[in-house]
Amino acid sequence: MTPIVQCRGLTKTYGRKIALNQINLNLERGRIIGLLGPNGSGKTTLIKIMNGLLNPTAGEILIGGISPGVETKYKISYLPERTYLHPGMRVEEMVRYFQDFYPDFRMDRAYDMLSRLQIAPGERLKNLSKGTKEKVQLILVMSRDADLYILDEPIAGVDPASRDFILHTIVQNYRRNASILLSTHLIADVENILDEVVFIKYGNIVLQAGAEQVRRREGKSIDRFFREVFAC
Amino acid sequence: MLGKLMKYEWQSTWQLLLPANLLIIVMTFFACMTVRLRLIDKVDNDGIIFGAIMILVTYAGSMFVVMIGTAIYLIYRFYTSTYGDQGYLLHTLPVDKHHIIIAKVAVSTAWVLFSSFLIYLSVVFIFASEQGVIPELIDSMENIAEEFGGRPTFFAGVMTVVAFMIQTLARVLKVTACLSLGQLSPNHKLLMSFAYYFGIYFLQQIVGSFYYAFLGLINSKMELYYYGRPWEITLIASLVYTVAFYVVTWYTMEKKLNLD
Repeated sequence: MTPIVQCRGLTKTYGRKIALNQINLNLERGRIIGLLGPNGSGKTTLIKIMNGLLNPTAGEILIGGISPGVETKYKISYLPERTYLHPGMRVEEMVRYFQDFYPDFRMDRAYDMLSRLQIAPGERLKNLSKGTKEKVQLILVMSRDADLYILDEPIAGVDPASRDFILHTIVQNYRRNASILLSTHLIADVENILDEVVFIKYGNIVLQAGAEQVRRREGKSIDRFFREVFAC
Repeated sequence: MLGKLMKYEWQSTWQLLLPANLLIIVMTFFACMTVRLRLIDKVDNDGIIFGAIMILVTYAGSMFVVMIGTAIYLIYRFYTSTYGDQGYLLHTLPVDKHHIIIAKVAVSTAWVLFSSFLIYLSVVFIFASEQGVIPELIDSMENIAEEFGGRPTFFAGVMTVVAFMIQTLARVLKVTACLSLGQLSPNHKLLMSFAYYFGIYFLQQIVGSFYYAFLGLINSKMELYYYGRPWEITLIASLVYTVAFYVVTWYTMEKKLNLD
């Protein structure tokens, strides 16, 4: 089966600065993959290119065998690191918005999660706290039956008590043959759900391996290993 | 998907722009009453005269605010929803970039035309409130037209309206093109958009000057040509600019998107 993501010599530069340096990477289907790296390592740039929000300077990227475009946006469910919801809209209007544009959106799943998190559907987004807005975004993204979920820092803006719920939501709501690419620097919180890890440093992939394989080989947690690899 | 995009574009804009346009209607009513009742001529009552002046000043001010405010709001809305944080959602929807541009530009153009039409009607009503002004105005306009190119025909009237609509479309697309070019810059994106706007405006003036100079060379009665059929030049120029600005907007959005 075609990998869900294939990068061949993928390069992105901003002037003289190299954000991604000839990356070669394959991400397989049915796995939860941690894209791990310090700030400024190129995680978000790579994610934006996957979503068609940035264009690469050189190289090629394929999502399910095709270049980013309208078709790949049906396949990817993307949670950015920032709030992208229209502040004037109500939660229920955003749910309808997603249902209007994404054929794989499951309204019942969205309302179920909203109810479990006690978020009122009639509430305007501008009246919600930053953390609650992020939860609404996550609910919208995880209510789709996508082939690839790309979650950029999904737990960075929420309190530690909500992190477990969010991780539980992520694991419970994705299709088993779909993949999740999870970018974070809060590794200790997520490492137990990861099947695979990709370490990225200064725009280069420095490691791609199974999570369990890394733990066994290094004899330590991924969080501890990460701190050693990226020590300043 | 185009229909859905347009639906949400309307929903996002009407809440602010509909009340703004209602304000035009309300202020027109009060201004018409002031003119009709000749309140400003009540020389024996300073209070009434002051009130009448205030109504007329507020009327003129509200027209200006609605016109400028609509333009600023639509520019802000396009920028934030396309190249700001909300752009992250817009550009990850499974929709063609042509549809995104068409939906946004069509709704913005419709609002600008609607406001312009209301303001135009408002001015006509104000003039009509003063007896005898409208016939005098029509007479003088016909005289000017006859002097330069003959009586205006119904066809010319329709074409003038069509040319104005296309010109409005070209102006909206000019803004979208400048904002799209501005987002290519790594920083100071809005400032760069303004720079592009004034740069393009300057280029348009140069092209326009050369065009009229060329007309002057081939037609010794250039004024006659210009004043007799002004819609022709506006229409042709606006169509050319519409296509050019659309292509620039589409190309930068499709091939050079650069969301921070």
